[in-house]
Amino acid sequence: MTTEAVEVARPGAIGSPSSPSRELWLRVRRKRLAMISLVVIAAIYGGGLFASVVAPYSYTEQNLDRGLEGPSADHWLGTDRLGRDMFSRILYSSRTNLVVTTAVLISGSLVLGNGLGLLSGYRGGAIDGAIMRVGDVFASLPGLPMLILINATFAPRVVEFVRWVEDHTFISGLVSSGAASYLTVFAALSLFSWVGTARIIRAQVLQLRERDFVMAAQATGASPFRIMWRHLLPNVSNLVILQVSGTMGAIAGSEIFLSWFGVGVQPPAASFGQMLFEGSGARTFQANPHLLLVPAFFVTALMFAFNLFGDAFNDAVRGR
Amino acid sequence: MGGQNRVLAILLGVLAVLVLAVGGLSAVLLASGSGGDDNGSSGGGVTTGGGSSAGVDTSPASGRLRLASGDPITLDPHIAGDALSAEYIVEIFSGLMTIDPDLNIVPDLAASFEVSDDGTQYTFVLRDDAFFHTGRRVTAEDVKYSIERASSREVASPVALAYLGDIVGVRDHFFGLADDVPGVEVIDERTVRFSLDAPKPYFLAKMTYPTSFVVDQQQIEANPRNWTRKPNGTGPYELQEWRLGERIVLRANERYYGGVPKVAEVLYELAGGSALTRFENDELDVAPITVNDIERARDPSSDLAPLYTVSPQFTISYIAFNTNVPPFDDVDVRKAFGLAIDRAKVAEVTFNNMLLPATGILPPALPGFTPKDKTYGFDPDAARAALAASKYGSAADLPPVVITEVGGGAEGRIDTQAFLEQWREVLGVNVEIRQTDFATFLADQDAGRLQMFNAGWIMDYPDPEDILDLKFHSESALNDVSYSNPQVDQLLDQARVDRDPEARIQQYQQAEKLIVEDAAWLPLYFSQSHVVVNPAVHGWFEPPMVIPRLRFVEVVR
Amino acid sequence: MAAYVIRRLLWLPVTLLIVTFLTFTIARFGPGDPVSIAAGQFRDPEVLAQVRAERGLDGTLVEQYVRWLGGAVRGDFGDSFLQQGFTVNELIFPKMLVSAQLGFMALVAVFSLGIPLGLIAARLNGTWIDPFIISILLFLQAIPVLVVIPPILWLFALQFDLLPVGGWGGLVDIWWIGGVIAIPIPDPHLYIPLFSMSLGGFAGVARLVRITALEVQSEDYIRTARAKGLPESTVQLRHVLPNSLLPVVTVVGFALVGILEGAFFTETLLGIPGIGRFTFEAVVSRDYDVIMAITSILAAVFVLMNLAVELTYGWIDPRIRLGEARS
Repeated sequence: MTTEAVEVARPGAIGSPSSPSRELWLRVRRKRLAMISLVVIAAIYGGGLFASVVAPYSYTEQNLDRGLEGPSADHWLGTDRLGRDMFSRILYSSRTNLVVTTAVLISGSLVLGNGLGLLSGYRGGAIDGAIMRVGDVFASLPGLPMLILINATFAPRVVEFVRWVEDHTFISGLVSSGAASYLTVFAALSLFSWVGTARIIRAQVLQLRERDFVMAAQATGASPFRIMWRHLLPNVSNLVILQVSGTMGAIAGSEIFLSWFGVGVQPPAASFGQMLFEGSGARTFQANPHLLLVPAFFVTALMFAFNLFGDAFNDAVRGR
Repeated sequence: MGGQNRVLAILLGVLAVLVLAVGGLSAVLLASGSGGDDNGSSGGGVTTGGGSSAGVDTSPASGRLRLASGDPITLDPHIAGDALSAEYIVEIFSGLMTIDPDLNIVPDLAASFEVSDDGTQYTFVLRDDAFFHTGRRVTAEDVKYSIERASSREVASPVALAYLGDIVGVRDHFFGLADDVPGVEVIDERTVRFSLDAPKPYFLAKMTYPTSFVVDQQQIEANPRNWTRKPNGTGPYELQEWRLGERIVLRANERYYGGVPKVAEVLYELAGGSALTRFENDELDVAPITVNDIERARDPSSDLAPLYTVSPQFTISYIAFNTNVPPFDDVDVRKAFGLAIDRAKVAEVTFNNMLLPATGILPPALPGFTPKDKTYGFDPDAARAALAASKYGSAADLPPVVITEVGGGAEGRIDTQAFLEQWREVLGVNVEIRQTDFATFLADQDAGRLQMFNAGWIMDYPDPEDILDLKFHSESALNDVSYSNPQVDQLLDQARVDRDPEARIQQYQQAEKLIVEDAAWLPLYFSQSHVVVNPAVHGWFEPPMVIPRLRFVEVVR
Repeated sequence: MAAYVIRRLLWLPVTLLIVTFLTFTIARFGPGDPVSIAAGQFRDPEVLAQVRAERGLDGTLVEQYVRWLGGAVRGDFGDSFLQQGFTVNELIFPKMLVSAQLGFMALVAVFSLGIPLGLIAARLNGTWIDPFIISILLFLQAIPVLVVIPPILWLFALQFDLLPVGGWGGLVDIWWIGGVIAIPIPDPHLYIPLFSMSLGGFAGVARLVRITALEVQSEDYIRTARAKGLPESTVQLRHVLPNSLLPVVTVVGFALVGILEGAFFTETLLGIPGIGRFTFEAVVSRDYDVIMAITSILAAVFVLMNLAVELTYGWIDPRIRLGEARS
């Protein structure tokens, strides 16, 4: 095998001592910015994950006499209009964001996007055509306005269904936590976000399928699924990770956007979108800048970390 | 090195394509899209020498008033159902009756009117100096045409029956069962008689609303689709210019029978950001004050303070309980919820006291209003006692409670969240908030699916019937809480036809007391209007509901 | 190839049909309708039913859709409910023009600042300036539009009174000197929205240009590949081009999409009469005809652009044999 084939594409064998992924990881590790971003992401999402343990107050605990205070010993980041602790609300917002982003990522980007991209690129022909045309339809629907409509239409029924499931089985806590009302949004967001990933994966696969090792695998009688799973997937894994970091930013952004229309977690549950709105407006900013600055700081930090990591990862893939 | 050049070439090529595409698209849209939003042809119609009645101000109009507002949904008085559209309509058009700045119902296009002994017939005599903007005299035929058009099947106005439904024959005409409205009769060129289905004293109040305003038959028949872009009305102002999303310009009607308006031109800026900033830049003459600026407006040392005024509004904000749905089928539960919240405190914290905690259902300045607080005040112990006294006994036995409200995110109300906490703290009930958009909310409300919700009501005419009867009579279509109290029904039925104004008021007040005690509504706040007014503007006032007011204002710079 | 193009073009009307029918169904299926909203406070179910019938909102879904389609193919997108008495075309085209103008200016800003920045970063690769520039740009991209606008507004419009608080004045304004000389300058209403909308785009373009320029400079593995005996064209085609192409297309695609979306907040917070804000207003008030018109136009543009992009893929790398099935 030629050198560049070893660096760029190698069948099977992930994780072995000199495998390309491990070398890639070592390259990434050497980049300080990438590591810092990972730490930031871990810190913010970690705080969210352990919010119930770490947060000094509950996100609903209000004190009408202590509203709109700046940072102090009791309230490290100040309070909002109802006297709720900003720091605690940030932690819970982070949790909301983590849940939403992960769920949509997994269902939409990872499963749908990569799966369909692989399938489409590898099989080509009618299947490719069909998937891409369906993708066209979804991509050309104005996603976010549609999301609001879809949420208005289907969410109540979905919640009823989940309630029914809870009544008849041992599962519980889905409706009250707000997860049920979010199911519709998960599904819809996934449906609208798989297309970009699929296209990119497909393009890469289109190139890869002409490669020697693929033809070799076919010659040995490997099934299409095995080829996709063991041979193609590892070689597009770089793209996958790149997509993940990019999409996470976009999904987190969508969550904020949807909150504007009340789509998403309902108050008093905290989300970054909600906190941002409470602080937006030029005159609100003039009067109480911390209402905007506090969530803005964390959201920006999170997105920035995603961007930096994605960029560093991109560089690493290219061998720099 | 061909590859690099190729890539750069591709980059530039993409850029070029982009520039061309967007530029081309703009050009196409420029060419095809214009012509729809520019309605400004100058001039207010033919000016023939119309004589004005003696005793009326004939000095010419002068000056220019600059206000900030939004695009009206429609300028057709027969279709309009919202306050924003009404604000323009009441200046451009007029009807038989109107409301004066002191909230009295007075004749407008009518010079006089008579009520028959049984109270079902109203005979109006039109003024002889009532003209359309084009100079054509207003006749009784115009009145009949207007009523028939407003209630016609073709126009399909959602509000026609609400305001004209008491007139004999309107209902049939609306549903296409009759070609005209026999309840409106032309007696002679200047006399028209209305026949009602019952002696309803609030008929005159309903006539002040745009649905009964007079429109120009000739104009509408000549230009049925676009006549509202340059409507020929009878009001104190003419529509001179309407650029969608940008501005509306009203020009004084020099021949207006009520006297020439003092302000010659009124400019409404429809676009742009913060009104207060533009006010301070001397771009606007009147600007609303929001929660963020109220401190400054109230601070006696600021420059805004002397310009700031507060006025009551006929708007009430409330939480409603569907009395058919558990747990709100039990009056004690409703009482408990009402006693558990501290509205005054929340109004202070979340609205900076810009709203008044409600003391009942009838808002201030409405006939029948009493300042005594009839509502359930903040009393945590009584709240817990009420819950214990209910058939559920405790919070744990209550079914899930969901309060639905409109908006969310940016429009989200924060006061509901405060109440939520209080219900949790005082009663131990975990209420869930469900935010939806307006359309969904309306659909659910109409279907009776809402268990508990946040809503508001704006009075359309200054009569308690407009709120107590419409919202609480058990047979009213607008009763969205399934409220039914035979005593209240009886009082309301009586008040409907009682011709003694004092007795009517008393009946409504008794009804209000019962309704508040039954707690189907938790009255939350009464709205107020907070504005700053440029000192050059004299006579500006903020009426509690939409009434014509521009002609009473004067601008002296 | 030509057959492929024609086949794809034939798909356009089918795609549009599916998209519009889906939108129509979802919109109608959803709770609420424009009559209900226009009705205001008086809601008598009988009356509303009558009004719906008269305004064409009765009939089965298919009947209504066919009625709409009949008008749409002739360019008649119906009348708006939100703004009575105006046709949909009259409402949306001026707004699309405003958004297009703003978006166009944003693209110009993004490219004209992004390209030089990327070149500088590539030139200074190896020093601290290169990652610094990229980091700054990524930071700017990370700030949500919603967060950018209030402080900027406060600073320039309230504190310093340099710029208007919102509104729209077209692309060009005239600056009079001494009442005699007229100089066309960019309209002051443009600056704040332009700023907030282009922040996100700089990073993408700059990074792309930087990478491309770096390809010229970093010859290590290319040299290695050449030493292995691979022909130059293979090196270019296999390594340089594919890696450069995907980002190009992605950036352009995301830039346009981002402009349309981010435009919503910009337009709402700054009171700009654009199509982003109007789309959502239409959705919220269920102004069906407006929703359908905007969807159809956007979908058509999208599908056409998509086709153009794919054709570019195929043209650039003939190894990507489009449309051929795996044997």
